[in-house]
Amino acid sequence: MRSSPGAWPFDDVTANYKRVTGDAVEYEVYARKTRAEPLHQVGSVVAPDDDLAAAYARATYDEERWIEMTIVRKDHVIALWQPGETSET
Amino acid sequence: MSLSDLVLSIADNKQMLGLRYAEWATRAPSLEADIAAAAMGLDDLGHSRVLYGCLEPLGEDPRGPERESDPAGLRALPYFDEPWTEWAQFVAANAVLDTAFTLMIEACVNGSVEVLQHRLRKMLMEERYHFLHGRSWLRSGISAEPLNRAWREAIEWFGPPDGETAQLHEDGRLSLGPAELQARLQERLETKAPDVKVDWKKWDPIRRRGSKGAIDERTFAMLRGLEEKRFAAQSKEA
Repeated sequence: MRSSPGAWPFDDVTANYKRVTGDAVEYEVYARKTRAEPLHQVGSVVAPDDDLAAAYARATYDEERWIEMTIVRKDHVIALWQPGETSET
Repeated sequence: MSLSDLVLSIADNKQMLGLRYAEWATRAPSLEADIAAAAMGLDDLGHSRVLYGCLEPLGEDPRGPERESDPAGLRALPYFDEPWTEWAQFVAANAVLDTAFTLMIEACVNGSVEVLQHRLRKMLMEERYHFLHGRSWLRSGISAEPLNRAWREAIEWFGPPDGETAQLHEDGRLSLGPAELQARLQERLETKAPDVKVDWKKWDPIRRRGSKGAIDERTFAMLRGLEEKRFAAQSKEA
């Protein structure tokens, strides 16, 4: 539960709801500014479903003039090898 | 009631929606939801400015001097009269009222009035994310009271089945009339509206609401810039 700054007229309002992010998963956010460049990761968001993740990604990372933005569930990414490993392992 | 009156109603409601969203920018249930509240607030405040800018090209600006002194001069719904004290109020407004305003904007964009066709189109792209946000939170479940209230006010705001909004639809200036707007809203939200009986005789066609009242004094003062003056540096003469 988050604490409230308590300013008018919001005293204790945050006591009236629960976080729904208990079931949330992480999504990685990718974007690019020109057709010539590849998509690259610009950040991540945590959300309980794809729709909310899309809304959060747009709200959080839309400050720049991206021509494309896409999100992917982090647990859908298949890792081939990681730091400390090599392609032969 | 003219098309300008309707556009002013959309503008005033979006201005208030944006302000109420922004009030939750540090109080939503997660950091992401905080940021979304701030971003949607900025979007809707921006949309209201575009809508106010459409009044002059429409040929008639219904804004009178009473808007500077009388909060009831503004045409926002009762839902925005007081700051929201529960997250469920935010979600109901985001899902139902924001989508209702978007549908009316769609009706303007797909209607026959050129200035609205051109100037309002971009809003629909931004509103897509407001809709995804609202619908997703709605699916997570909220209390019935704010949800029923939002539905009632949306239906009232669309207007009576045989009123002037229906006439604007018949004339082709709006692509959707009240009945189509309500049907489309149910379709978008994948839910049936509660059974709402509106006493249209008590309905105010200018403010598009069934009850009297107005936004709270503090918000009205803020809109007029008076709240900011409290924090301004004292002038030398003072």
